[in-house]
Amino acid sequence: MTGIVVGKTAEIPEGGRKIVVPFRGRAGIGIFNVGGRFYALRNICPHKRGPLCTGEVGGRGNSVAPPSMTGGDVGYERDGEIIRCPWHAWQFDIATGQCLVDPNTRVKTYPVIVNGDELIVNVDARDFIAEG
Amino acid sequence: MAQTIDKLKQIHIGKKGAAPIAAPGWTGKAADRVKLVDCDVHHNYREPEDLLPYLPRFYQEHLLDQGLHLPGSGYANTPYRRTRTDIKDPELKEREFNFSLEFTQKELLDRWNIDIALLTGPPTFYAYAGLPDPDWAAALCSAFNDYTIEHWLGQDPRVVNAILVAPNDPALAVKEIQRLAHRKDTVAVMMPMQTPQLFGQRLYHPIWEACAEHDLPIVAHIGGGSPGSTPTPSGFPSYYMESRMTRPNLASAQAASLICEGVFELFPNLKFAMIEVQQMWAAPLMWHMDADWKAIGDQTPWLKRLPSEYFREHIRIGSQPMHEPPKTEQVYQMLEMLCADETLVFCTDFPHWDWNDPVTVLPKLDDHSHRRIFAENALDMLRISDDMINQVVS
Repeated sequence: MTGIVVGKTAEIPEGGRKIVVPFRGRAGIGIFNVGGRFYALRNICPHKRGPLCTGEVGGRGNSVAPPSMTGGDVGYERDGEIIRCPWHAWQFDIATGQCLVDPNTRVKTYPVIVNGDELIVNVDARDFIAEG
Repeated sequence: MAQTIDKLKQIHIGKKGAAPIAAPGWTGKAADRVKLVDCDVHHNYREPEDLLPYLPRFYQEHLLDQGLHLPGSGYANTPYRRTRTDIKDPELKEREFNFSLEFTQKELLDRWNIDIALLTGPPTFYAYAGLPDPDWAAALCSAFNDYTIEHWLGQDPRVVNAILVAPNDPALAVKEIQRLAHRKDTVAVMMPMQTPQLFGQRLYHPIWEACAEHDLPIVAHIGGGSPGSTPTPSGFPSYYMESRMTRPNLASAQAASLICEGVFELFPNLKFAMIEVQQMWAAPLMWHMDADWKAIGDQTPWLKRLPSEYFREHIRIGSQPMHEPPKTEQVYQMLEMLCADETLVFCTDFPHWDWNDPVTVLPKLDDHSHRRIFAENALDMLRISDDMINQVVS
């Protein structure tokens, strides 16, 4: 296991992202800045292999009860913490990779280390394979 | 590990760039035959004014003065932020995609090795079926068809067209079919599925007769509507997801109508595809109709065969949005129940958010089923000549 520099912190402002390719194949990974913390996800959706990290980052609607019930007001939560795959719109928690619509589904995550102004992702030998 | 790396290297050789997951394992077309036909590729104009050159002067004024004034369904078929953001042009301010032939070639045909793509127009536009003015509806269809001819056809042999016709006045629909049937790239007729009356009723027979005359199938895509009509007999569903669940009901009713009214006795070569309405509904429809036919078939004595036989010979089911049952084995069971090697035609619904790609849409199939579902069922249905096929596989 060794770390490689995938970018500078200034490249990815809060709410932003950078897609790094190739990385474990040509799909690469997405590095996200959520509230000042950096996260990396594999850019392949575990549902239908869509390019997950190119999806929209936002939040999701929430409600504790149907709107016909007292207290059943609709709201919007976790703005900026959730990414939706552009294919079929499945939601994932950027911080954990957990799929929010299927408890048994998770996208691979990679720890991101901030070293000064550099972003480092730990990789193993397989990640060094160059494109052809 | 070294062995793994060698293996991965082999996989990655020759594949460059940051393109998203394009079709690993999908080898595309063979030299000798069509392998992949997509029966639902949406295309569009950039803005309604693009139709102006193709409208008669009277209707140019109508468009400039009143806009398209298409009735809204109450739901957004392609919600703004649920389109495929991975291929959306970031410069684009409009809600829709940057629809162009080049875009579709790059993002669909080339990337996924589609041999033949059937253009089906924009679903929001299908609301022409709900326009109170039948002449305006027909003028819009003609203009859209001519726009398609100029901007989408004749440039790529893979691209073929389902001409739009309006059910509002069947005589005008017939006129449009007669106007464009001579074109080789006219391979089907597109009709929105929600019509003021059920498809089998005699009001529409002249349209089906014209299709049969030219050996053109009808591709009925979900959408449309008519003044005062609702998606269910009990009115409008409140929510978009809920509205999508009504689609199989409509498809089922339309298929039953076509069969019970004897449309396929009248027009023995007619084929009818039900697009973007799910699939599973067709199995219970066939079973229930067969059971009823045995019991009370003498109430419709013009039906000479089991209803399921009419269905399997004449009606086709679009593969998108494909069911995703909890167990893979259930997909195989479903395909068997549907007689999918006869009835199912592959559709991507490109470029919408709920599209299906050809690689992950179904689990691995036997060769026969794969060929039928991904190519041959569609080739048997669409009016595609051998020389058109030769153009795309040569």
